[in-house]
Parts: sequence; C-alpha cells; structure tokens
Amino acid sequence: MVDMSVNLGGLPMKNPVTTASGTFAAGMEYSDFVDVAALGAVTTKGVSLNGWEGNASPRIAETPSGMLNSIGLQNPGVAHLKEVELPWLAQKGATTIVNVSGHSFSEYVQVIEALEDAPVDAYEVNISCPNVDAGGMTIGTDPNSVTEVVGLCRAATNRPLIVKLTPNVTDITEIARAAEAAGADALSLINTLMGMAIDAERRKPVLARVVGGFSGPAVKPVALRMVWECHKAVKVPLLGMGGISNGTDAVEFMLAGATAVAVGTANFFNPHATQETIDGIYAYCERHGVGRVADLIGALEC
Amino acid sequence: MGLINETVQVVSNQQVGPRLHLMVLDAPAIAAGIQPGQFVHMKVPRMEAHILRRPFSVYVRDVEAGTIDILYQVVGFGTDHMTSLQPGEECELIGPVGAVWNPPAQGRCLLVGGGVGAAPLFMLCESIVASDASVDVVLGAQTEAALVCRDRYAKLLGDEPRCATDDGTYGRAGFCTSLVQEALQQAAEEGAPYDYVAVCGPEPLMKIVAGLAADAGVRCEVSMEKRMACGIGACLSCVVDTVDGKKRACVDGPVFDAGKVVW
Ligand SMILES: Cc1cc2nc3c(=O)[nH]c(=O)nc-3n(C[C@H](O)[C@H](O)[C@H](O)COP(=O)(O)OP(=O)(O)OC[C@H]3O[C@@H](n4cnc5c(N)ncnc54)[C@H](O)[C@@H]3O)c2cc1C
Ligand SMILES: Cc1cc2nc3c(=O)[nH]c(=O)nc-3n(C[C@H](O)[C@H](O)[C@H](O)COP(=O)(O)O)c2cc1C
Ligand code: FES
Repeated sequence: MVDMSVNLGGLPMKNPVTTASGTFAAGMEYSDFVDVAALGAVTTKGVSLNGWEGNASPRIAETPSGMLNSIGLQNPGVAHLKEVELPWLAQKGATTIVNVSGHSFSEYVQVIEALEDAPVDAYEVNISCPNVDAGGMTIGTDPNSVTEVVGLCRAATNRPLIVKLTPNVTDITEIARAAEAAGADALSLINTLMGMAIDAERRKPVLARVVGGFSGPAVKPVALRMVWECHKAVKVPLLGMGGISNGTDAVEFMLAGATAVAVGTANFFNPHATQETIDGIYAYCERHGVGRVADLIGALEC
Repeated sequence: MGLINETVQVVSNQQVGPRLHLMVLDAPAIAAGIQPGQFVHMKVPRMEAHILRRPFSVYVRDVEAGTIDILYQVVGFGTDHMTSLQPGEECELIGPVGAVWNPPAQGRCLLVGGGVGAAPLFMLCESIVASDASVDVVLGAQTEAALVCRDRYAKLLGDEPRCATDDGTYGRAGFCTSLVQEALQQAAEEGAPYDYVAVCGPEPLMKIVAGLAADAGVRCEVSMEKRMACGIGACLSCVVDTVDGKKRACVDGPVFDAGKVVW
C-alpha cells in the first residue's frame, strides 16, 4: 500500500492529482469517464462575479505537441456555480478548488466573499490568464499588484488560498515570493504561455484574438523548470502543471518540488487522463519502493 | 446513452472521390447508440504531435454489423494522415456526442447537403423515410465525381435526389441554393409547403439556406462546424453565437435551430 495523500497548504488531498482549471469544467461533462470523488481535487473553471462572454471564435489552434486557446474566461458567474456545480461536486463527495478570476482587485474579493458559505475546500486565485484585457496576467506580472491582490484575498478568507502564477515573466521566483509574503498558502504554476499561430495561406492569425495561451505536452520542460525554481525560492507548497499527461509526467513535477499536480490539456485527448495519472503515480511508487507519495516532493537528485 | 471512449478497428478505408474517403469502423457500442445528428470525436493513431481529436459525423451505421461509416474530406494534416490508416488499425472514438436533428413527426421535410455535408444528413433521411413524414433531398458538390452520396440517397428514396454541381458536370449548374429556392417556392405554390428544412455544409451555404427557409416561414435546423478540443462540453472552444448567448457546438449542438444562430 502506498500512502497517496498530500497536504497542499492546508488542503488535505487523498492523492496529488487535480484538474487544471478550464480543462475539466466542474467535472459533470467528464462524469461518464471519471469519478470526481476519486481525484485529489477538482479545480473548477475560472469564475467571475457576474459572468463573462469570452472571446470571439476561432478560440483554439493546434500546434506541435500542444495547443493555443483564447477562451477568455467565459463563465456564467459565481451564482450559477453555487447553484449548479458546487452542490453537484459536494453530493459526489469531491474535494473542490474554485478558480477565481476578476477584472479588478475588488472583483476577486467579491467572488471569494460570495463563495464563503458554499461547499468549497480551497481557492485558486488566477492572476495569470493571458486571454483577458483587464485583470488576469496584467496583475500577475507585477509584484506590487500581486502583493495587493493576494493580501486582499487573504483577508477575505481563512480557507486555503492558492495563487496561480503566469510563466510570462522574466523571473517567476520574484512573483512567487511576493505571493507567499502576501499570505498565499500554496502556489500553482504554470498558467499558459503566450503564443501565436499563423495561417500563411490566408495571411491571417488562426485565433480571432490573434494571440492565445499555449499548453499541452510541448510546455512541460518550461513548467518543470519553473516549478523547480520556485521550489528553491519559497516554502509554501506548489501545485505543478503544464503538459502533464500521465503518471511519469506527474512524478517528474513532484521530484522538481510540486506537492500536487494538475492534469489539463491531456483531458482533451484522453478523457481518462486524470485517473490514469493517479494510477501511474501509484505504480511508480510501488516500483520504486516509495511508501508515501509525499516523499517524492523535491526528491530530485542533482 | 452516456458517452463512451471506444477502441475501434478500421474495417476499410478507401478513396471514393476527389479528396473524399470513406472509412468503415468496427464500433459496435457507438453504432448501437448513435442518433442522427450526433458525431464521434476521433483520436487518430500515429500522429502524436497533433494532440487534438478530430470530430466526424456518422454517415451510415449498421447496428447488426456493429459498424459506422465516416465520409471525410482531406483538408489538413489529420485528414490527410487518416488516409494512411490500414484495415485492422485501432483508433479511439468518444461518442455518441451532441444534439440530434428534430424533424416533425408528419409533414414535408427538405434536406440540403453541400459537399461532405451530405453525409451527416443520411441517417436523418433514413429516419424520416421510416416515419409518417415525407422527404426531398437537395445535394450540391463541386463536380460530379464529388457527389459520392447520390447513389445511396437514390436507393433510400427510390428516386434521384436533386443535384447541383458548381462546374455543371451533373444536374443543375451552379450552387444548390437555386434548387432549394425552387423547391420551397414550388411546395408553397402546390399548397403543401415544407414543414422543416435541415442543412449541412459550408457555413455560407447554411446561412443562405437558413435565410431562404426563414423567408418561406419554414423551420430550419443547421449543423455547425467549430474547432473542438474536448468535444464533450467542458472547454468552451467550440462556441456558436446564438440569440440566447454563446452555445457549445459539441453538446448544445452541433444541430441548432437556424433561427437562433447569429451568423
Ligand atoms: C460536429 C462536426 C462534424 C464533422 N463531420 C465531418 C464529416 O463527416 N466529414 C468531414 O470530412 N469533416 C467533418 N467535420 C470537419 C472535420 O472535423 C475537419 O475537417 C477536421 O477536423 C480537419 O482536421 P485536419 O487535421 O485535416 O485539419 P487541420 O487544419 O490540420 O486541423 C487543425 C485543427 O483544426 C481543426 N479543424 C480544421 N478544420 C475544421 C473544421 N472544418 N471543423 C472543425 N474543426 C476543424 C482540427 O480538428 C484540428 O484541431 C466535422 C466537424 C464537426 C465539428
Ligand atoms: C482551454 C483552456 C482553458 C483554460 N482556462 C483556465 C481558467 O479558466 N483559469 C485558469 O487559471 N487557467 C486556465 N487554463 C490554464 C490551465 O489551467 C493550465 O494552467 C495550463 O493549460 C497548463 O497545463 P496543461 O498544459 O496541462 O494544459 C486553461 C487552459 C486551457 C487549455
Ligand atoms: S469542444 Fe470543448 S466545449 Fe465543445
């Protein structure tokens, strides 16, 4: 028996695997493939106060071993999440992380306040979305803004507060330290990398928004490097993601310093990817005589 | 039925027209459950760097044999690569996905298929033929050799579908929209107007036919093609603008009430 449990900054997880926000909705759509209660946690799609329409189509492009998206945080608003998805997750027995977005500092706080009486186990504050003009990445690239918004969110809740970082910065450890100092219980990384795809025949961008967020297996080396850098720079636990498709990928992130991991784009090509990742981590631990999965965290030998 | 991710085998895979290929897949579970209008989301083997699945409608299904046929046009890397799949090779299909066509139980129906859009209408045509409603079919293609569904429709209907080719090599020369306009007009003049139009094909064609149906006061449904990542409603890649806001082509569609689509 391998002890698969981990603790992500005060959030107990039965295993280290959650879903990357925006790739799994709240899990209902995947319920023919995945038992949400078997996951370490479900991380829901980014939610704003009153809902957003998102960007124009086309919203995705396939790129070598990856994809671009410019969904633009389309969501129906926090009231809908409370009414429909959160009760469903609670009834299924899932551990729930709600990904919070906002166009302004106060919107993040208002979303958290609206969720305080709902069945939520932790918040993931998205200050890293490249697909919106206000909020998102514009906050997450400036240490002063990070300090301010994380401080405000911290004051609004006693629940575990995870802050999601963007890779689109010169030095991610600077942002990581700012978030930690402002009261984050854990950090998640990475959100998508800014990218672009061009249709040469038509001399047009593939995405209506021209640029979008790059994800999938192609980004894994960048994500691993950033998890490793942050692991050395901060004490709070890390939720690693970026290109994780199976148990081996997940173990690599844990060795680099992640306490938990998220499966994102892989859900699109393999609807069983989350459960297979859990099974793969378990099999790795058995094969290597690892009794507690937590012993893998930061166990890279270099 | 719920969704499944079925590992299926290629039975045959042959070119049937210019850039047009027919793949028969041994997919008993999906064949048993799929309804007209629904599609499958295919993970094509041996193209790992192209990570996304490809969505395809089901052209023909044979519940007894447990097979489904996909008629596909080569338009890019994935569909080109699909032509290399050999009998016996395995791929994965998520299905059956999506909303179904909603023809009336009785009355007159007109189906309009442009290019490869003739395929997703065939199962609908079968179900209408088996019902108390009647059905006429208009097919359009670039050239005669591309009218690859014509024979099957003719056999099902016991009559030739009305055809148009852009180059005039078969049927009416030009776009099939003129045939649609005439059919709508003639039916109205006969005092037996259509009750329903279903159209599938390039978006400009669907938009024109939707407009003609609206002018004639006939209910119309369209099948929308959008780029899809998850294919099951989770990622919001595939949204269609409608009067009720953005809707997901994969699970709220692909079939939409044409009157609600904001083109
Ligand atoms: C519900 C539905 C049913 C369909 N049924 C059929 C069918 O029966 N026969 C058929 O030939 N085609 C059908 N299509 C279109 C088919 O999915 C695309 O032609 C195919 O995905 C192109 O892949 P590619 O790798 O060759 O093109 P590439 O351009 O290399 O593909 C790059 C990316 O764009 C996507 N893409 C490109 N063109 C389209 C398109 N027109 N629609 C959706 N995604 C696209 C691909 O899936 C891929 O993710 C259907 C599309 C949808 C949404
Ligand atoms: C279609 C799509 C939608 C996303 N939506 C969100 C979101 O709403 N909030 C967020 O914090 N991250 C969002 N992300 C980023 C992912 O959660 C994740 O950080 C990123 O995709 C890297 O992981 P991956 O390579 O495993 O997908 C989205 C990613 C994709 C592909
Ligand atoms: S393709 Fe993901 S929601 Fe339609």
